Amino acid sequence: MSVIVRIPTPLRKLTQNKPEVEVNGNNIELLIDDLDANYPGIKERIYDESDNIRRFVNIYLNDEDIRFLEGKSTPVNDGDEVSIIPAIAGGILIF
Amino acid sequence: MKDSLLKLNIGILKQISDHAKSDFPEECCGIILSDGEQDFLRQCTNVQNQLHLEDPSTYPRDARTAYQIDPKELLEICKESEAKNRPIKAFYHSHPNHHAYFSEKDKADATVWDEPLYPDASYIVIPVCGDDSEVQILESMRVYTWDLNVGDYLESEIDSSNG
Repeated sequence: MSVIVRIPTPLRKLTQNKPEVEVNGNNIELLIDDLDANYPGIKERIYDESDNIRRFVNIYLNDEDIRFLEGKSTPVNDGDEVSIIPAIAGGILIF
Repeated sequence: MKDSLLKLNIGILKQISDHAKSDFPEECCGIILSDGEQDFLRQCTNVQNQLHLEDPSTYPRDARTAYQIDPKELLEICKESEAKNRPIKAFYHSHPNHHAYFSEKDKADATVWDEPLYPDASYIVIPVCGDDSEVQILESMRVYTWDLNVGDYLESEIDSSNG
């Protein structure tokens, strides 16, 4: 299963500046494994210490947030587009 | 004396202020792209309420005290930025009933992998105050830009002298 993964600007130093890379796997977890095998360092940025997707990392399968699909187990098909999108977020000081 | 300048014309500043007022009492957010000559403002949706409703333990705050740009909109704007060669000049968000400052959370969320996500983009913070009868911007907005030498976000000056 070959899928295009869109890499956000902050992670492109790991992909030799490529904005999109082709990886193999039939679900999100396997795609991330293959991504990390080809571009080491990506996995630790996506996962926390417990191997959960970090709070500030959004992963979209086509137009859907995988949190609302099946998370890491979400299946992917040929021709799907997966996007990694680090959150732009913040908030006021709370006393 | 602030080290760096962020040029923003009066029209863009007004659009940002109007957005902050219209989203009050919630935080507004958006992105400014620039091709070097012209700036392009893209208002974004703050998805913080949705995050808070779906998962309050991970997202204890709602949109009155926090923001997250809708990731899908962010993705589309990043695509536009690259396709049209309009780099991200700044992100903006408002602080309802608070002063303009770059909070610890603002800084932590901008440097999630121990370095700035978008080191070339400034962060604009708009203080917006109000109650049931009136919403106003009483103080100046402030801008924070990554300083490579210091390794931190420092305040920059807004230069609106060119219109």
